[in-house]
Amino acid sequence: IGVSNRVDSEWTKTPAALLCLIHSYQMAMRQTPLTCSGHTRPVVDLAFSGITPYGYFLISACKDGKPMLRQGDTGDWIGTFLGHKGAVWGATLNKEATKAATAAADFSAKVWDAVTGDEVLTLAHKHIVKCVNFTQDSNCLLTGGNDKVLRIYDLSKPEAEPQEISGHTSAIKKALWCNDDQQILSAAEDKTIRLWDRNTGEAVKTLSFEASVSSMEYIPDGEILVITYGRTIAFYKAHTLDPIKTIDAPASIHSASLHPDKDFFVAGGDDFKLYKYDYSTKEEMESYKGHFGPVHCVRFSPDGELYASGSEDGTLRLWQTAVGKTYGLWKCVLPGEFERRFA
Amino acid sequence: MKTPVSVLRLPRGPEPNSRGFDPNSPRYIALCPTTIPASQGNKADSVNLEEEQQLRSELRECFLRSLIAMTDKQVQFNLYEKVQVQAKFGASDIDVLNFQVSDLQTPLGVQKEALLRCQDMISYSFHL
Repeated sequence: IGVSNRVDSEWTKTPAALLCLIHSYQMAMRQTPLTCSGHTRPVVDLAFSGITPYGYFLISACKDGKPMLRQGDTGDWIGTFLGHKGAVWGATLNKEATKAATAAADFSAKVWDAVTGDEVLTLAHKHIVKCVNFTQDSNCLLTGGNDKVLRIYDLSKPEAEPQEISGHTSAIKKALWCNDDQQILSAAEDKTIRLWDRNTGEAVKTLSFEASVSSMEYIPDGEILVITYGRTIAFYKAHTLDPIKTIDAPASIHSASLHPDKDFFVAGGDDFKLYKYDYSTKEEMESYKGHFGPVHCVRFSPDGELYASGSEDGTLRLWQTAVGKTYGLWKCVLPGEFERRFA
Repeated sequence: MKTPVSVLRLPRGPEPNSRGFDPNSPRYIALCPTTIPASQGNKADSVNLEEEQQLRSELRECFLRSLIAMTDKQVQFNLYEKVQVQAKFGASDIDVLNFQVSDLQTPLGVQKEALLRCQDMISYSFHL
């Protein structure tokens, strides 16, 4: 901001001055995470829906066997999906937040009506199910778990046998549709990530790691794959599995998420903290304490305004991307002088 | 010393006695598919709709009356894991999520008062 001859009160009304004041205000604010309570055991997975006419939604998977649906921007509880008889390891919502799917230790995956909370379908498996993922049209459900087999269910023909894809030599931890639902990405305890062709069921590419991959996130816009293993957060091109970049964190990381605008990413793990990094420069920007246990999962909301974390401490926490901004339950309370001039 | 961001209120937690999914929420009202197939049809199906609603009301009334008839009677419950228990039925909660029973005979002994989760039951039977 340059020197001006203008009277002080007029100068401070310029857009540049306004931005400067907002920035310094936000820099002076401390992040207030919003704690969502209700679960009684560790929260091991969470997923957001897309943006719907009723806002966006969040589902959490918990070892207490009772996955919960929440309003995404406030964390307000909407309902609990009752029916599983064991720990729920994976949970997902379709884009419209009309359907939910869960994967559990009771050897089943379930599909739910996310509006009424009713159980729609139970898909029996031969072992613990760890992950579930809908195709973009919500017509097919991908499941993976401890029996090492990927299964694709046609939800319009639930009685039909699922298509099975074998190859992994250990329990599957995470499986995702990618490349316009034509391919599947899976991560397993065998320390590999495999890219499969959905139609042939053949592995197109395999990546091997020194350690088991702890999490995977697929960003369709830009075809980016975010994975975590050990203390590393790594970014790959989803089509080719070519590496883009890697970042090492101060502690073992369990989950990471890239902001929709791809300017930052967040990560959390063993040291209970949430880390925020600049994606371009790879620099650590901020770290936040709050959880009382390791962070198991973290995801950005579809509008990028907040990110949610799930922890061993049994809570979900919502964190602001732009600290101090008015959004959801967070309120920008302006300091007196600022309010007098601009509010 | 940084000031913490202000918050309007805390996120609302779960209700203790309900599984949620408020049927009065705007989303529910707008999106909830009616459970009556006939009502999804055109005007010509309105006769079918009425008939179906009538039958459903009768079934519902029958079920509610069966719960009343069961009060203070000995009921045999078939639960998962091939477990069978017997108890005196007291009442059901409004969502039929739990049954309040007395003198529940279990493999571990008799429980004077108990709540049985309906999701744990496969079937139950009693003599009228």
